[in-house]
Amino acid sequence: MGVIHGEEMVLNIGPQHPSTHGVLRLKVKTDGEIISEITPVIGYLHRCFEKHCENMTYDQVIPYTDRCDYLAAMANNFGYVVAVEELMELKVPEKVEYIRVIMAELQRIASHLLALGVYGLDIGAFTPFLFMLRDRERILDMFEMTCGARLLYNYMWVGGVSHDLPKGFVETAFQFLDYFEPQIEEYNNLLTYNKIFIERTADIGVLPADVAISYGVSGPNLRASGVKWDLRKNDTYSIYDKFEFDVCIGDGGQGTLGDCWDRYYVRMLEVKESVKILRQALAQMPKDGDVHQALPKKIRPPKGSIYSRTETPRGDLGFYIESDGSPIPTRVKMRSPAFTSLSVLGELAGGWMMSDVISILGSLDIVLGEIDR
Amino acid sequence: MSADQEKLITELVEKGLAGDMDPINAIEDRVLRSKAKAALAKAKRAAKTATTAAPTEEKPATETIAETPPSDNPNKKFGKMIEDTFQGSLDAELNDTHIQLKPDNWFEIAKWLKSEPSLYFDSLQCHTGMDVGENMLEARYNLHSMTHDHKIEIRIAVSRDKANIPSIEQIWRIGDWFERETYDMFGIFFDGHRDHRRMLLPEDWEGYPLRKDYEVQETYHGIAIPKVKVGWE
Repeated sequence: MGVIHGEEMVLNIGPQHPSTHGVLRLKVKTDGEIISEITPVIGYLHRCFEKHCENMTYDQVIPYTDRCDYLAAMANNFGYVVAVEELMELKVPEKVEYIRVIMAELQRIASHLLALGVYGLDIGAFTPFLFMLRDRERILDMFEMTCGARLLYNYMWVGGVSHDLPKGFVETAFQFLDYFEPQIEEYNNLLTYNKIFIERTADIGVLPADVAISYGVSGPNLRASGVKWDLRKNDTYSIYDKFEFDVCIGDGGQGTLGDCWDRYYVRMLEVKESVKILRQALAQMPKDGDVHQALPKKIRPPKGSIYSRTETPRGDLGFYIESDGSPIPTRVKMRSPAFTSLSVLGELAGGWMMSDVISILGSLDIVLGEIDR
Repeated sequence: MSADQEKLITELVEKGLAGDMDPINAIEDRVLRSKAKAALAKAKRAAKTATTAAPTEEKPATETIAETPPSDNPNKKFGKMIEDTFQGSLDAELNDTHIQLKPDNWFEIAKWLKSEPSLYFDSLQCHTGMDVGENMLEARYNLHSMTHDHKIEIRIAVSRDKANIPSIEQIWRIGDWFERETYDMFGIFFDGHRDHRRMLLPEDWEGYPLRKDYEVQETYHGIAIPKVKVGWE
C-alpha cells in the first residue's frame, strides 16, 4: 500500500473553549490526527494594564495586579510591592515579611491545587478536581478571614499589609496543614499514579532544558526539565533565606525528563515544600508588631528604574518599573511567567496528536489574565 | 544633649552600622530617635567615603592591579568588555544601572553575549520599550546568566522617525513574543524578525498605545470606543 496524502486542515481551538483555561485561541494546522503547526493567538483579555499604570499612583496599581493572575493574586501583589520597595529602598518590619511569606505560600498551594485539579479534569479525571477544590476552599477561607476577599485581595501594600492576621489564624493554619498533608497521598493515589493519567501524560510534550531557558520558561515548568532554579533560593528576596526547603526538579519518573507528567509532579512536590515553609514561618513569626508601621505617607520612589523578580506559582514574575520621582510611575512592565510559558507551545506541540495538545497545554498551567494583561 | 544621651546614641549607631536597626526604631522619644538616625546616616556616609577613598590611595602602590580597575558593577564591567570587543558600539558613558548601545551591530553583540563563555547570558529575562520623550524611543533588555548568576540591562535608543533595531529573536527565542509586544505597544520595528506582527492588539489597530502622546481612535469597525474619563466623578 502506498503513502496516503492527506490534506492539511486548519482548525481553531478556542477562543471559547473550556480546556484553553481562558480566552485563548489556538490556530492548529493538522495533518489527520497529527499537529504540524500550532500558533497561539492571544490578546482577547487585554485590559491595558500597563497603560493604566501610567495614570495612577503606585498604591493604586496593586488591585490591578490582582486581576492579572487571578489564581495567584497574593503572589502578584507580593511581586509588585517587592519591586516598589526595592526601588524606594524601603525596609518592612519583620512581622510583615513573615505574613507575606505565609500568604504567598498558602497562595502557592491554592494555585497548584487548582492547576493539578484542572489538569486532571482536562484529561478526563473528574474526581480529583473536586477533592482539590474542596481543600483549596479552606485556604480561601483563611484569606477571607484575613482580608475579607476570597480571590482578589489587594492585601499587600507598599511597606506593609492591609490587615494584621486575625485572632486564631495561626491555629487555623496549623489545623489546615495537619489536615492537608495526608491529603497529598490521597491525590497521588487518585491521580498521580493512575494508569490512565500516566498513559496520557508520560513521554508526552518533552521540553529539553536548553529550549526552556531560551524561551524564558520558568518556575515549575523549567524545574520539571531538570533545571534546579528557584528564585526563592537562587536570587532570594524577602525572608526566604531563613527557611529550609528543597527545590524540586523533575526526574522523568514515569517517562522522559521534562514530559507532561514531570511538570505535573513537580507541582505536587512543591506543594509539600510549601507546607514545610509554612510550618516554619508560622512557628517563627513574631507575635507583636504593627503591620502599618512602615507604610509611607506618600509613595514617591526616587528617579530611576528597577527590574525585580519574584517566584510566583507560575514562575518568575518580573516587574520593570521606571520612576521619574513623581507619585505616578512612568512605566510599569509586567513580565509574566505564563506569557513566556505559552510562547513555547508552538515548539512543544508540533508533531504530537490532537489529543496530546490538551495535555501539553494543561501541563504548562497558564492564566490568560496574566498573559494578556 | 546630655552625656547619657550621647553615649546611648553612639551605642545605637554602632549597632545600626552592624545592621541592627531595631534598637533605634524602638526609641520612644521622637527627637532622640531622629538624632540617632541622623548620627547613623553620618557614620555610614563617613564609612562610605573611607572605602571609596581607600583604593585611590592604594593605586600607586599596587600598579599591577591598577592596570585593570576592578569594577564590581556588572553593567560597567561587561560594558567595558563590549566596548573592547565591538569598538564604537557604546552610545553613552558607562554607568552603574545600564549599558547604552547603538542599534547598528546589536545582533552581533547579542550573539556574542550569549556565546562568550565568561559571560554566557543564556536568558533574556525581560524586554520592553520606553517612550523617553524628545522624539526618542528606547528598547530595554534585561539579561541574566543562569550559569554565572550575573545580570545586566541594555538600552538602545532610536528616534521615532527611524525606529529600527535588529531583532534578537533567533538568539533568545522568547525575543519572538517580547519583540512583537514591544512593536505592538511602541511601534519599534525589529529588523529580521520572522513573524513581525502585533501581539496583543488586532492587526488593524491604529497607533501604538504605550507611547506617551497616544490618542485612542474614535471607532473600531463601527464600534465606538468609550473615551477615558479624566479625573474622578
